[in-house]
Amino acid sequence: MSFELNRQLAARREPLPTSATVDPVTAAIIRGGMETICFEAATHLGRAASSAIINQSNERNASIVDAHGRLAGAAIGTPHLTFVTGMTVRYGLMRQRDYDWGPGDVFLGNDPDYGGGHLPDYNVYAPVYDAAGELIMVQCLQAHQGDTGGKDPGGFTLEATDIFTEGMAFPCLKLVHRGERRRDVFDTVVRNNRFPTIGGDLAAMIGGVQHSVRMLEDLIRKWGSDRVKAAINYNIEHTEQGVRKVVESWPDGTYEADVFVDHDTIGRAKDIRVHVACRVAGDQLTVDLTGTDDRQDLVGVWNTFANSRGYIMTQVVAAMDPGINKNEGFFNAVDMVIPEGCIAHPPPNKPAALGSFHPACEITEAVCVALSGIVPERSAPQVYKMGMPNSVIGFDAQGRMWMDQGVDSRSCDTSAVQGIDGWGTCPVSLGNLLLAQVEDAEGRFPVINISREMTVDSEGAGRWRGQPGSLNVKQVLEPATAMAWMVTAEHPLRGMCGGDDASPYSNRFRVGTPEEHVIELSANEVLPAGSITAYQYGGGAGFEPALMRDPAAVREDVLDEIVSVQRARDKYGVVFTGTVEEFDLAVDEVATAALREQMQKEPAQ
Amino acid sequence: MSYRVGIDIGGTFTDFALLKGEEVILYKNLSTPGDRSLGVMSGLEKLAEMEGLPLAEFMGRCDAIVHGTTVADNTLIEMNGAVTGLITTEGFRDEMEYRRGYKENIWDVRLAPPPQITPRRRRLTVPERILHDGTVHRPLDEAAVRACCARLRKQGVESVAISLLFSFVNPAHERRVAEIVAEEMPGVHLSVSHQVLPRAPEYDRTSTTVVNAFVGPRVTSYLERLVSRVREAGYRRQLMVMQASGGVMTREYIEGSPIRVLASGPAGGVVGSAHAGVAKGHKNLLCVDMGGTSYDISMVLGGAAPAVAGWNMHHRYLVGVPMVQVETLGAGGGSICHVNQGEIQVGPASAGSDPGPICYGRGGTRPTITDALLMLGILSADSEFAGGSFSLSRTGVEEAFQALGDQMGYSAEKAAFDCWRVVNANMTQGVRRITAGKGIDPADTCMLAYGGNGPAFAARQAEELGIERVLVPRASPTFSALGTLVADPSIDEERSYLSPADSVDPGRLRDLWGELAARARQFFTDAGFEADQVCAKYQLNMRYPGQNWVLTFDARVCHGLDDLSFVDEAIGARAIADFNQRHMEEYGHIREDEVPEITGVRLASSVATPSPRVGHGFNAPTRLASVARTRRANLGEGYHETDVFAGVDLAPGDEIIGPAIVEETFTTLVVSPGWRLRVDDAGDYELNRVREGD
Repeated sequence: MSFELNRQLAARREPLPTSATVDPVTAAIIRGGMETICFEAATHLGRAASSAIINQSNERNASIVDAHGRLAGAAIGTPHLTFVTGMTVRYGLMRQRDYDWGPGDVFLGNDPDYGGGHLPDYNVYAPVYDAAGELIMVQCLQAHQGDTGGKDPGGFTLEATDIFTEGMAFPCLKLVHRGERRRDVFDTVVRNNRFPTIGGDLAAMIGGVQHSVRMLEDLIRKWGSDRVKAAINYNIEHTEQGVRKVVESWPDGTYEADVFVDHDTIGRAKDIRVHVACRVAGDQLTVDLTGTDDRQDLVGVWNTFANSRGYIMTQVVAAMDPGINKNEGFFNAVDMVIPEGCIAHPPPNKPAALGSFHPACEITEAVCVALSGIVPERSAPQVYKMGMPNSVIGFDAQGRMWMDQGVDSRSCDTSAVQGIDGWGTCPVSLGNLLLAQVEDAEGRFPVINISREMTVDSEGAGRWRGQPGSLNVKQVLEPATAMAWMVTAEHPLRGMCGGDDASPYSNRFRVGTPEEHVIELSANEVLPAGSITAYQYGGGAGFEPALMRDPAAVREDVLDEIVSVQRARDKYGVVFTGTVEEFDLAVDEVATAALREQMQKEPAQ
Repeated sequence: MSYRVGIDIGGTFTDFALLKGEEVILYKNLSTPGDRSLGVMSGLEKLAEMEGLPLAEFMGRCDAIVHGTTVADNTLIEMNGAVTGLITTEGFRDEMEYRRGYKENIWDVRLAPPPQITPRRRRLTVPERILHDGTVHRPLDEAAVRACCARLRKQGVESVAISLLFSFVNPAHERRVAEIVAEEMPGVHLSVSHQVLPRAPEYDRTSTTVVNAFVGPRVTSYLERLVSRVREAGYRRQLMVMQASGGVMTREYIEGSPIRVLASGPAGGVVGSAHAGVAKGHKNLLCVDMGGTSYDISMVLGGAAPAVAGWNMHHRYLVGVPMVQVETLGAGGGSICHVNQGEIQVGPASAGSDPGPICYGRGGTRPTITDALLMLGILSADSEFAGGSFSLSRTGVEEAFQALGDQMGYSAEKAAFDCWRVVNANMTQGVRRITAGKGIDPADTCMLAYGGNGPAFAARQAEELGIERVLVPRASPTFSALGTLVADPSIDEERSYLSPADSVDPGRLRDLWGELAARARQFFTDAGFEADQVCAKYQLNMRYPGQNWVLTFDARVCHGLDDLSFVDEAIGARAIADFNQRHMEEYGHIREDEVPEITGVRLASSVATPSPRVGHGFNAPTRLASVARTRRANLGEGYHETDVFAGVDLAPGDEIIGPAIVEETFTTLVVSPGWRLRVDDAGDYELNRVREGD
């Protein structure tokens, strides 16, 4: 539990020891087998779990880490989890002798100071041995839990100043010993979690991992340990070469960006800075966060070291050919400098829950802004810029906690990328998260969802525009606690290459009553029955200047009530004849050309 | 003599299976894309001619014409369906565009959105709200509905989808909206969500309803045209249509929910496989259909191919109606081989049938799997191809693989062989995803291979998957048509009902199942069947609270549609016990402290109809088959002079020891090293792994 531990965890690992060689096709076949097994583990969990975060929103990840703690190339879920998982396992690997690792064991890790992301991301993992007893790899299944047993239900505490406020931390806890569930340990984990279904969900995670271990043992039997190890080594090396080849094609230089979080979770400190310098020298990319905020009295904006590495990598991967296999080769090819003590590499015991929102996303965003000078065609920030979703939590008559999983979580932070308007409710990296539905949620939770539509004129304008924001209105039918944190009023999601920034988020509680108020910074309030919250999500940012947008595309947006006629004129310089109501809208080419010429001469202030 | 005719229209061929008594006659002709009913009629004329009858007499003797159509699939692929509008609940205009946030490739920031069937200007909302318990929270604003109609009219909308929140619990508002739309927009096609897919959640139901509205008018007009033609030709019975669920039903039933024909072609193949496999004594089958563009994988378990309603994505749209599960991989004969990031990859891009593989000689320039098979000697330029319609050419093939080999640093033959290995691996992983997802070890199944390319890979696939036996029926090239003949008329529908299982209301269950039974009775009666012929499976959908996936199981299986006496006060307790057992089987644990909940009732009803008899057994005397010729070929263990047999020469009892190649009219079988092929008494092929002592 120290910076030294983080240095050890992050250190580059050697290839697995083997004298065997493998041809590229066999290596790809073995990799495919491992990917399929991960798919099975994730599917098993999604079907058996009862937490809506897992089974509706799919916030889970399956991946395989090799015996040296390297991401072995098989994953399903979201990149934000995929590139973090290995660090928790690396801590377990360091202690395998102390903790009596063996075949049939299953472990739990979630400790932010021992390689973890934030506490809710329980990582259940199991070692896989060959017939001779050699550890070959570790199957991991990670999923976001609805509670962590801390001060506040749900795992997020706005004013938390240490990790202990947030709940139970498990550096490496054995849940199953040689195939037998440790009932005392299991029950203790369950007891320290408010979520009534945690026992079933943990059982589902264990079942999913055990299922995968059996299949991986079959895979090792089929191909032999040495060939599997050689294949893992080959695949990682191959990815590193692929990444380096891409980087080599980029112009040498240093590309920098500053991105800010409006304020910390209690609103005391403002303009929290993430600074990124991406240095390209030959085939070496270095992402350096030196200059990132390191004020030690900041509250709630501490992103764990493992998370920061993962969130950097999420954007680096997005900038590359999607055909490059995702594994440790990325980490081998990209150097990262994350200064100790800054908000991206906190000292021990700092709270971690909300840091996974911000500054985690600003780290990703800053990498995107920096790389947009090199790869504009792949520069779309892979973020959720929401502060946090309105977390609505209550307790039923039996005292069991419920948490509305966010039917209203239409983040819509989908920015445009060169040639493609932003679309859908999230960037592609989060495309495996299936958002909750009204008809599932309202039967379970005492809420009514009133709206979650896109809002007119909320797109980040650009030659290619961002996805419009959305207005999410919800009514609670019983008293509930609602927690919120707003971060984009001053520093919204950044536009790329001259495109406009996204619209800021805004949030109101107790709408339509004399107590209606805007959430400026953060909130943790008890809402009386009948209260309405209205959360305006910001949407995505634009790409290249709005005046370059094809007027015909602006016309389509106006007909679709994404952009108003007035905004079409003011922002895009497009003038129409006809009306939306009569569907006879047409671009007035002459007037548009004249207006655009004038606007280019006199840019709006 | 009376007849039954099964017809399946594919991209290239229209397949016919004629059942007379227990005999089946197969026939193929070219499809007619402009008006596919023309190809159907010319085929029927050919069948009549083969029977020596005038068309009118032949048609008059047909007890049933059963039809599988790709018109819905083609409409969705080509995005040329009806101009469609959507009316939904105020506040929820954009669900179709949100797609629950789903994106098909989480690694590609350049992933483009799917084309919108209902662009935002045609997605309109009305003030109204029904809650999860069916109570009206906000009354319907009828004036707003009429205003929506005016806007849709101005946009030339031909088909309207209506999907309101919780309509599956209380459809009153949807019904009223439908009435108003019918008044305001006479002649418009209507798709109403509580009829198309009466269950939660809203995205699933809305998407299914929108796709139904989009393809509906085309499906309907096509079927009407076909019905008119067959009636004119003398057919007197109801036209039966294949559904994606694996059953058939009348055109009238299909027209109430045209989306049910989507993906019905592959379903027909699976049903045909189940029939053939069961007849030959194998109830658990892994069915693989490899054609020109794809490798379709499906499972038959316990002799049946269950239809599953859920997250079925078709052409980037969610379709929630029950479908026989067929997983499609981009691994067909036309799949293009290429090098990416220093790796040989196959597909998903395909050369299709036009221009097709290089060896078709139609202008294709990129190497495909069919070209690789030619390089490996599995196919030959000296033999007829596709039933003799043309011959393959080696011109340009070797050069194309040499170009791949140059990138990899080795020879053209090695490149072709590696393409073969990669496509095999892709298929193996696809199979494993399906079988493991169902908790099945493929080694416990028998493989049934069909399609033009399936039998060329089957033995190798079986080897990799630990499967001991592969069936290759001679009728396999027309399996989908055969499947339409085998499929029973069936209706599979559900109704939503949310209740903890320990406090279920038997009266409500009885009402819902009674409603489903009444619908089934009406359609079966209209189709000419008696109610007591109907096999009824009354099923429950259940889950633990919070789970998002249900398990479906039978609460009662009986003949007839009138007996609901099983719905008694104890049904809840029985349901809990049955569900817990199923959950233990499926997921390996039960939640001891939790009471499961019922989420819906389902009625799967069907009528057994005559099916073709499938021969089986190995009673004919065994003899080694005669080799027709030899050629240099690589069947996985390097190039060797390899025996080649002509399928037309093979008879029951014939046996071939691998390595060998069998050239059939529409396909090629590979007998891998270590495998043996036998011809059974029906003339069908069976491949077995050779064991020591065999």
